[in-house]
Amino acid sequence: MISKVFLRNLLRVTVLCIIASFVIAPLLATALGGFKTNAEIRTSAFGLPETWNFEFYNAIVSDPAFWRYLGNSLLISIAAVILTLLVGAAAAYVFAQIRFFGSRMLFSYLLLGLMFPFATAILPLFIQVRDIGLLDSYWSVILPQTAFGLSLAILLFRTFFEQLPRELFEAAYVDGCGYIRFFWRFTLPLSTPILATVGVFVFVQSWNNFLLPLVMLNSREAFTWPLGMMQFRGEFVTEWNRTLAFVTLTIMPAIVFFLAAQKYIVAGLTGGAVKG
Amino acid sequence: MADVHLRHINKCFGAVEVIPDIELEIPHGSFTVLVGPSGCGKSTLLRMIAGLEKPTSGTIEIDGDDVTNFEPSARGISMVFQSYALYPHMTVAQNIDFGLRLMKMPAAEREERVKDAAKRLHLEQLLDRKPSELSGGQRQRVAIGRSIVRNPKVFLFDEPLSNLDAALRTQMRVELAELHQSIGATMVYVTHDQVEAMTLADQIVVMNGGRIEQVGPPMELYDNPQTEFVASFIGSPKMNLLPGKAIGRDDIKSVGIRPEHLETHLETGKWAARVGVIENLGSDTVVYMETDDFGHVTVRLPGHHPLRTGDRVFLTPDEKHLHLFGMDGRKILAKEPLSAPAT
Repeated sequence: MISKVFLRNLLRVTVLCIIASFVIAPLLATALGGFKTNAEIRTSAFGLPETWNFEFYNAIVSDPAFWRYLGNSLLISIAAVILTLLVGAAAAYVFAQIRFFGSRMLFSYLLLGLMFPFATAILPLFIQVRDIGLLDSYWSVILPQTAFGLSLAILLFRTFFEQLPRELFEAAYVDGCGYIRFFWRFTLPLSTPILATVGVFVFVQSWNNFLLPLVMLNSREAFTWPLGMMQFRGEFVTEWNRTLAFVTLTIMPAIVFFLAAQKYIVAGLTGGAVKG
Repeated sequence: MADVHLRHINKCFGAVEVIPDIELEIPHGSFTVLVGPSGCGKSTLLRMIAGLEKPTSGTIEIDGDDVTNFEPSARGISMVFQSYALYPHMTVAQNIDFGLRLMKMPAAEREERVKDAAKRLHLEQLLDRKPSELSGGQRQRVAIGRSIVRNPKVFLFDEPLSNLDAALRTQMRVELAELHQSIGATMVYVTHDQVEAMTLADQIVVMNGGRIEQVGPPMELYDNPQTEFVASFIGSPKMNLLPGKAIGRDDIKSVGIRPEHLETHLETGKWAARVGVIENLGSDTVVYMETDDFGHVTVRLPGHHPLRTGDRVFLTPDEKHLHLFGMDGRKILAKEPLSAPAT
């Protein structure tokens, strides 16, 4: 009986380890690659480095351009997160709370955005942003990213907001609290799990976005890190170790952000399953 | 004078008319209970008084003012919800305080009122806790506290005790009655539990299918039900409703007799019956019987009783306590001339 349980657990752990290795192995290879020489990367991509070369990491960290790229990425990502959360939550709140003519049609229309591939929109997006005169500014990346993040955000927010008990609003309404105050004082504070979930999705998406900054940004001062990485590759065409070291350093904030919000993300995705 | 007048209230949800036309007066200082089966429109009526629903037509007056188009917070009411609807991210003190804050009341006065309410409801030790750390009864008290600090003209309760267990419900019922006595404000209370209605109310409004069946003090409804529905709804165990032929009257729909107004004899009586289930409640015994000719009858006998299941007995109704209902379900006064029974 015990051995049966043990076997089942062993099987479970094995499967989990295999799946985890799919994620961890490339990450590890990337991090370790930053310590290797280019020749060594070609011969053993996954092994430990023969000698630990810190010079590539040092070179990147001591380059002010790297910090500028990181700063730009951080600024753009955080702005996109804040905008998406505010606009998405406000829109979802209306969809969840108020029945109005055409609300279902409008909601479905917004959900269409989920099926819309980002890359196909890039040319009209470029023309639009150029006409507005935002090219080569942070806003040219922030605004489209917010717009494309909204459909998922609204979908998740609305589902969560609808689960807030209706009597809560009615009690506050009798107390003299209107829709807008209720949004700030009740809906947002009670929705931290879903805010964190959507926030992380949007942040990671924005952080890793390559195509949009590539099209919108021209001056090196405004470059985000994926663009910065391309510049590195241009200069050191065959120097994979620097690229890998660069990538390792740049995905750090995203990982830290995820770990910090992990608890809320799990709660947000399973929200409503357990009575609060 | 915080009396409430409902005039020609009509309410439709889309094409469904839930309340055709209601006229109701709730006197100042009364404890009025709206009671009826689920779906009878009692909660809708309460929500219209609160301002959470708008009547399709008709007017609502509180304290002489037409408040039909007022926001809930401007009506001078407060409401306690079935699920308590406490604000989960606020402490007990903040929960009670919230409405006062929105009224922009000075901090000193707010604190005074919160303290006062907490003392009245025995919540002093709990003011810094979150609702999730409270028991059901304590949450209910906080919900009541939240409504009394606002000093409303009218208190509204929407089935406030139905989430509590039986013992707690009895206790809260007593506390509510005491609260009403000490505050003396008008209270409107919705329940589907007729025991709550009988014990709390000084005026009961029995509703059925969106209509008011009867309005009156509990004992009047008990002793003198005007319709067959009221007769069967008020009182526990339920009143026996037998066909008119049980008393030799074919011209009426039914005759009602309360379980305590039936006498049991072993040898003689008007109706023969067989004893079914016996429930010993200690103070009295409720016996469910099957009559030979008219179906089930419930009898309440004082104290313990030596009857056994399967015994044959005879039942005699107390003639003074018969309730006669005509074909339309309305009460027929015994003195009214009735068409003579066929001879």
